[in-house]
Amino acid sequence: MTAKRVYGYLAEFKSASALYKAAEKVRDAGHKKWDCYSPYPIHGLDKAMGMKKSILPYLVFFGGTLGIITAFCLAYTTQVVLYPTIVQAKPANIFTTAAFFPIMFELTILFSGFTTLFGLLALMGLPRLNHPLFESRQFARATDDGFFIAIEARDPRFSSEETKSLLEDAGGANIELVEEPTD
Amino acid sequence: MGHFITSKDIPADGEHIEKGKLSRPIMVCGVVALVGLIASACLLFIGNDAQNEAADTVAGRYAYSWLFAFAFFVSLPLGSAFWLLLHHVSNSGWGISVRRLMENLACVFPWLGILAIPFLFPQVQQHLFEWMNIHRGLEGVGIYGSAKEALHSSPDPHHVNHLLYLKHFYMNLPFWLCRMIGYFLILGGCLLYLRKLSVAQDNDPNPGIERLKTARRRTSWMLPIFAITVTFLAFDLLKALDYKWFSTMYGVYFFAGCALNGMALLILTTICLRRAGYMQNIMSPEHHHIMGKLTFAFVVFWAYVSFSQFFLIWYANITEETSYFILRNTGNWNIANIALVFGHFALPFLFLIRSDVKKKPGLMIPITIYLFVLHALDHYIIVAPERGPSLTHGGSLFSGGSVVWLDLLAFVTVGAFFAFIFLRSLTKFSLYPHRDPRIIESANLFN
Repeated sequence: MTAKRVYGYLAEFKSASALYKAAEKVRDAGHKKWDCYSPYPIHGLDKAMGMKKSILPYLVFFGGTLGIITAFCLAYTTQVVLYPTIVQAKPANIFTTAAFFPIMFELTILFSGFTTLFGLLALMGLPRLNHPLFESRQFARATDDGFFIAIEARDPRFSSEETKSLLEDAGGANIELVEEPTD
Repeated sequence: MGHFITSKDIPADGEHIEKGKLSRPIMVCGVVALVGLIASACLLFIGNDAQNEAADTVAGRYAYSWLFAFAFFVSLPLGSAFWLLLHHVSNSGWGISVRRLMENLACVFPWLGILAIPFLFPQVQQHLFEWMNIHRGLEGVGIYGSAKEALHSSPDPHHVNHLLYLKHFYMNLPFWLCRMIGYFLILGGCLLYLRKLSVAQDNDPNPGIERLKTARRRTSWMLPIFAITVTFLAFDLLKALDYKWFSTMYGVYFFAGCALNGMALLILTTICLRRAGYMQNIMSPEHHHIMGKLTFAFVVFWAYVSFSQFFLIWYANITEETSYFILRNTGNWNIANIALVFGHFALPFLFLIRSDVKKKPGLMIPITIYLFVLHALDHYIIVAPERGPSLTHGGSLFSGGSVVWLDLLAFVTVGAFFAFIFLRSLTKFSLYPHRDPRIIESANLFN
């Protein structure tokens, strides 16, 4: 028999609105390490969960700024400093910058796009091969017609009785203690 | 967000600005506009005979000031007209709360036609539009005659007349006159009709969706009228200052400024009204968020269009295209032009990029005013650099004498007239279409 570790409680809810109301209760109980699972996005659920704004926009802004600086330095160094290219008597100095704008625009978009994608993956902890909740058989319905809340055992307020009763009070059904194998 | 707004929160007769609350500013604007108009008429017409030749006189300089002020203030109602038509034709629900303000703002446009009357006189035209002088200088053309045959047969050492001959189907005096009148009558009529339709809903005891459908159906052909008007108004008044110059992007360039500043003025108006205690239930920061996003989008669109226009001309380096930018990069105009790049694009872009800024009225007031200042600079660079070379026949970059006071006088006069018409229309009707079927949807907007 393999050793197991408790991941947390999983509870099912009837509908999106039941999930929304339960999320508000769990939020107000002061839990931090928990999440909602639903087959589709629910408007306002992030507010009901008390989630903070993502820091991703700041990452993207700095990614974009890095892109525009990179493009300017690249174009300026090659076209003005190292190998001045004179086309139709146009200047090869700082006033050539207008010709660099398309490059600057494109690298801004490229760098922002990359920062969005990779920043998002990093913030979400993706890619990952497995998730402890996959141990639960009923959890497969989260991609079909199931609405779930899982409160992790890592949460400082987690206790085997109180958390269970909290989920029961919030209207959760099929409450299950999910355990993951440790080896 | 407060509680869910229901029909109980919306007064059955709508919200009106109390009588007398705005009478003082309206009177001040009216008096300033009247005095300014009289002064302007004197400056434009006294001692200024039609010679078919630009002259560096006060009247000549003031004609450019007037064109600058007119172009700036006509762009605001045109921008608002765009948002109104778009709102109808796209069957939108978010902006019902602010639609009456769009209508009132857009309906200033037909009234501004009064201020365009000076442009119909040869005394004013001779300083602004060189092609008209060439037409009228030919035999048998008269004040508003056709010059087609005369252009064909006249001696033509610089091949200028041949160019004008080829453009005659569009650039001829009778057609020009018809166009100028048509812009204000046709588009103005459309906009007044839309407001009438919307106001009729306010007094309907059994308001239905019929008027919304009518407005949607009719705006689908009003929108092309708008596009034609805004494009060719820019061509006829601004681009025609240099008839040898080509730019197919010019109409879009003018339109980008219109839409941006029309929306900015809408934001400023709603903030002022809300600070004065109106429209409390009907609007929320969500509306300001949407309007801020549209402003942000058009900051970028303006930059995209104006840079594209510059870039293609700069790269291709074709003589008849570069004249516009050579003139505007000669002397100190260069500084103003570069200031536009940072001031009209980079700074507003950084101001408006955050979503919480768009929802804060205290921050949006200075930002919208800043946008107007830069829009005025943009239009000043469109109009003013032509003044010196045209009036002195290429002799100097600037006209003799100080023109700042003339520019200010024209700006204040047209601005006061604009404010007079706009504030008066605000007091006449309810501040929002309170019996519109989708007013509740708009009041509870969430995005």
